[in-house]
Amino acid sequence: MGKLNKDIIFGLYDDETDLLSAVESANHDHMDIYDVYSPFPVHGLDPILGLEESRIHIAGFIYGALGTLTAFLGMTWIFTKDWPIIFGGKPYWSVPAFIPITFELTVLFAAVGMTVTFYIINGQGPGASNPILHDRISDDKFCIAFDTHSVDEGSAKSFFEKTGATLIDKKHI
Amino acid sequence: MTTYSIPSRQKTLLLSGMVIGLISLALTWFMDGSGHHMRFWTNFLHNSVFFTGISLMAIFFYSICNTAWAGWHVQFKRVWEAMSMFLGVGVILMGIIAAGLLFDWHHLYHWADPASVESDSILQHKSAFLNKGWYLVSVVLIAVWFFFAWKLRGFSTAEDSQGGVKDFSLHIKTRWWTAGFLPIIGFSTCLVFWQWIMSIDAHWYSTLFAWYSGASLFVSMIAMTILVLVFLKSNGYYPNVSTEHFHDLGKFMFAFSIFWTYLWFSQYMLIWYSNNGEETVYFNTRQDNYPVLFYGNLIINFLVPFFILMRNDTKRKFGSLIFVGLVVIFGHWLDFFLMIKPGALHTAHELSGHGGEHHGHAGAMPDAHADVAHHATEAAGHAADAGHGAVSTFEAGFSMPGFLELGTMIGFLCLFLYVFYVSLAKANLVAKNDPYLSESLHHHV
Repeated sequence: MGKLNKDIIFGLYDDETDLLSAVESANHDHMDIYDVYSPFPVHGLDPILGLEESRIHIAGFIYGALGTLTAFLGMTWIFTKDWPIIFGGKPYWSVPAFIPITFELTVLFAAVGMTVTFYIINGQGPGASNPILHDRISDDKFCIAFDTHSVDEGSAKSFFEKTGATLIDKKHI
Repeated sequence: MTTYSIPSRQKTLLLSGMVIGLISLALTWFMDGSGHHMRFWTNFLHNSVFFTGISLMAIFFYSICNTAWAGWHVQFKRVWEAMSMFLGVGVILMGIIAAGLLFDWHHLYHWADPASVESDSILQHKSAFLNKGWYLVSVVLIAVWFFFAWKLRGFSTAEDSQGGVKDFSLHIKTRWWTAGFLPIIGFSTCLVFWQWIMSIDAHWYSTLFAWYSGASLFVSMIAMTILVLVFLKSNGYYPNVSTEHFHDLGKFMFAFSIFWTYLWFSQYMLIWYSNNGEETVYFNTRQDNYPVLFYGNLIINFLVPFFILMRNDTKRKFGSLIFVGLVVIFGHWLDFFLMIKPGALHTAHELSGHGGEHHGHAGAMPDAHADVAHHATEAAGHAADAGHGAVSTFEAGFSMPGFLELGTMIGFLCLFLYVFYVSLAKANLVAKNDPYLSESLHHHV
């Protein structure tokens, strides 16, 4: 597990409405937020954090189409050219029989492809560092984190106190 | 604008649409090459089933949302309630078909012809269910659905004056009624769709059929809801129905188009695979004699909604939603056309004696068994087609929907919309005291 070598100062909030207003006031003060953590997806958080819509679904479509073609052309080649077998008196090129497998491979390619793409783009996967700032972030607390390189400790602390954070802490990750 | 008032122009438009429908129906009575006024009766049955089914699906989905404690739909739940009021008309429409069956006005159903049953062991076998008594039960069932729809609407409108966030009694009552209604719909739809549509091809059966036709109607209902809501919204009603609600409706249209395809394919695949002549005859006829409708059905009802609604933003824009909604409603109307017409035409030909030599049914060996032999090899399969190919020539109003079919559809559509708008205008547009209203107002996907 490699270290990110960052000094993080973070504050915990009890409620998602406190979190939303805190993020908004951080935007207002031009403070560079390192990350926000919450136990569940908070409605309306993405736009005020300035996160653009994910493009993973475009990758998903391409992988899915690839799966469709692999399965369909693959079976076509196998059952008409490579090793033709008669099943139940049906023609070699029996499209209805290919549909379920085509569907399965489409789903498989899309799912696996999207997962791998997601992991690579986000630097996740084996060997990645996933520091946990505070245990209760995965339970019932909402967290805003600042990198001390971009936001100095004093102003971060006063920001957390001003916006009603219930716990302020520092961690080296 | 808390209530809807029908502009007189809209009223005139809908009424003239109904007149077009009446004229088309009257013309099909005479312009009919099939004999036995089959064109008139199939058009009547086709549209009655389609629009009655849409109104049933409206109250069905309303009941599901209620039972699931859903809140997103509450703002426009009056739309579904008003749609379900068409069930009252459905009782009359299907009542006419049933009366026609009782008094031998039509020959829609092969199994209702005593002479055919006499010489046909399969029909004799099925006569315990395929008989006039059970057909009447199916009409009674629409009345039962209408009773539930009417009752649920009663609770909903009563809540406007006496309910509220303090008083949940009517909401809880609604939940009991909807929960009781769901199994009734679940079982009764199987019965009625088998009776109304599947039994037209009296020899054929498919256990998936009720689900398949039900999914078809469900997609049409969602599309209809979207179109009606867009119309109302563009006229200044429902200001708080937002892109979020349309996004969810778009997702339902997308998902249930796929669900319909899944059922379509499951039905086709099982029958194709087992290659049982009694079953394959249904698809054989349609693939060989109705190829445009058969494959077009899949393109219109699967490929179009699938590729257009796949993206996030197409589900949030009126343009794409309206386009897909119109395409899908028409597509599923065609789907029902294809379920009803080929079998009915076959019956008409048989009664006229055209197919008589083929469907001889001399003894206990009906043609189904002959088909098995025919299908044993691919080459011989075409021989079976020739036997069934009594309808390979073009037949107006059967091979392809003509202007009169479209006119009839417009008539029934206008009748549906008329009943819908009149019912909608009778109550507040928004159920203002529903405990879930706030959730619907703040809906966010």
